[in-house]
Amino acid sequence: MPPTETSPPQPGRRRALAVIVNSTVAVIGGALSTLLGVFAVRPARGAVRGRWVRAGTIGDLTKNVPVARVLAVPREDGWFRARSRETVFLVWDGARDVKVFSATCTHLGCQVLWDAKTKHFKCPCHGGVYAADGKVLDGPPPRPLEIVEAKIEDADDSILVRV
Amino acid sequence: MITNRGLKDRLIEWFDVRTRHRAVRHVLLDEEIPAGTGWMFTLGSTLLALIGVQLLTGAFLTLYYAPTPDHAYESVRYISSTTAGRMVRGIHHFGASFLVVFLVLHLLRVVIFGSYKPPRELTWLSGLALLGLVLGFALTGYLLPWDQRAYWATVVTINIARLEPIAGEAIAAIMQGGSTIGALTLTRWYSAHVIFLPTLLVLLVVAHVVLMRLQGSSGPVRQKPGKPVAFYPYQAFRDTVVVTVVLLGVVALAWRGMPPLEGPADPTDAGYIPRPEWYFLGLFELLKYFPGKWEVVGAIVIPGLVAAFLALLPWIDRGPERDPRRRPLIMIAVMAGVLAVTVLTTLGWRDRPRPVDPNRWSMREIGGRAIAGYSGCTKCHSETGVADPLETTAFTRGAEWVEGHATDPEMIAPGLREPPAARSEREVAAIVAYVRRITRQPYPGYPKEIETAATVWARYCVGCHVIDGDGGDDGPNLSDAGTKHSLAELKEWIVDPEAVNPNADMPAFGDRLSPEQLDAIATYLVSRK
Repeated sequence: MPPTETSPPQPGRRRALAVIVNSTVAVIGGALSTLLGVFAVRPARGAVRGRWVRAGTIGDLTKNVPVARVLAVPREDGWFRARSRETVFLVWDGARDVKVFSATCTHLGCQVLWDAKTKHFKCPCHGGVYAADGKVLDGPPPRPLEIVEAKIEDADDSILVRV
Repeated sequence: MITNRGLKDRLIEWFDVRTRHRAVRHVLLDEEIPAGTGWMFTLGSTLLALIGVQLLTGAFLTLYYAPTPDHAYESVRYISSTTAGRMVRGIHHFGASFLVVFLVLHLLRVVIFGSYKPPRELTWLSGLALLGLVLGFALTGYLLPWDQRAYWATVVTINIARLEPIAGEAIAAIMQGGSTIGALTLTRWYSAHVIFLPTLLVLLVVAHVVLMRLQGSSGPVRQKPGKPVAFYPYQAFRDTVVVTVVLLGVVALAWRGMPPLEGPADPTDAGYIPRPEWYFLGLFELLKYFPGKWEVVGAIVIPGLVAAFLALLPWIDRGPERDPRRRPLIMIAVMAGVLAVTVLTTLGWRDRPRPVDPNRWSMREIGGRAIAGYSGCTKCHSETGVADPLETTAFTRGAEWVEGHATDPEMIAPGLREPPAARSEREVAAIVAYVRRITRQPYPGYPKEIETAATVWARYCVGCHVIDGDGGDDGPNLSDAGTKHSLAELKEWIVDPEAVNPNADMPAFGDRLSPEQLDAIATYLVSRK
């Protein structure tokens, strides 16, 4: 208890009160700073879950000929939801397998095109050339075209791509 | 150790020469407090602490908050999605309530102790201005989450401002910003809440505290024997105890209950009954006693008179006497005021709209779920579709947008969408009701028969009949249909009304409903008692 004014302040009591005040203020300040710090540096991570998106059916494809498809890929950015468009190439093996390549050049991110004459993917920006299986044949790309997970739905022959 | 100690002292000395921190500390902490100053004088420090917490939590909330009608609600939901975010928002929300409570307690303490008497009139006036400012914060902060409550409370606020004589329209226009309550309103209330009001608040708090220090604490009503003591640590100890208890209270509330967030603002929802925050409930209740052209009395004149009375108090109550027992008229006036506010607030509190279980889905919402299912929404809104499944999508736009989205394939992602199946106006309304509900609460699951009945209800009945306040009013209210009709009667009536009553206006549904649907809707209606 604080002293009543009839009892003159004693140095020991004064020190004890000061310690209580200082440490309480420090605890409150520390707790508040921790809470606000956590809030500031760790924003909620949106549940970034892989998603299977329909990208046409086998009926649309010809064996071993890459076909470009534009997919709308949902992107979560905190509370902001947007859709980005991403181009992929579907390559069907004629049976129950389909390979899907991202059309983004591994060099600097341009969109590659399929050249039906040479049967190569070509990047219009810096001359990167990829084989039909995505391997680098020429130019600056450091890696083969990225392969995107895909599957064929047995029920209706539709192609699902994981984005 | 010795060198360390020497270094520490030298450092302190070095800083003191440059910052005079010892003198500052002396000014801040060694203030002499009159003997007998006690726990009643801790309210000011408590308010200072609460204001500090509000400023800090508010500043951090702006890290994530987005003041646009499209994103405000979504960003507040996002803030509430982590524990830390829930706590920060909760502390800011409940801290505001505590701030109002302690402001009023502080004001009452000053009135009862006669602390506003000369030479402290300006301290009193700056305190009143702070009270007004804090209510301004409460008002502007209320709109920011952009939920139903926020939107409709703002509609009411702006309409009240409009009642003011002469300048009413102009003030309302300034508050509203644009031609409707929308994007421009939100940004200007936001800037007021985070820039203009805080600046004023800090300036006024500084002025208030400096004035208080210049005149010294007024101390107990009658001088007590004994020497004055230093503020630190004696009064500071009392302050710390009260502040700790109060902050623990705020944290406990924030921990226990998430601050309310209703459905997203919907300007077209005529059925929504707006309710103000509890500290405005007294005013809200007062308005009810002044209908029509007298409304201005409840909205402006009475609150204005109360404010004027408080502002003039040091000049009304002029004698040097501070003892409340010797100032009976002032005490009676103030206690009458407190009583009136308490009674009005209690009445306002009790006068709640029908206690509908907020977790119970309406028939339209349940029906909307099935209708969305058969109308093609789930073609895109599915795990394998281009859009999020409806269950995980937050629909933060207005009903009109959802309506357009459900009927016009070109409205979003032209070319990407297949045209939706043709739907009646009522089916679209049910889908809208469903998606707005699913945004707030996952589907709780209802029995198959109820779902079937709800689909029929949302497709047909709701156009003319009401259940639990939702529906059209051309036909009878069916909320208690089971008390008036038997199952057989209801079925007969639904199949062919004219066969029961040749003058019936209701169309026959015998050929539009399957036997299961007829069973389901009639059974449901009979269960309504």
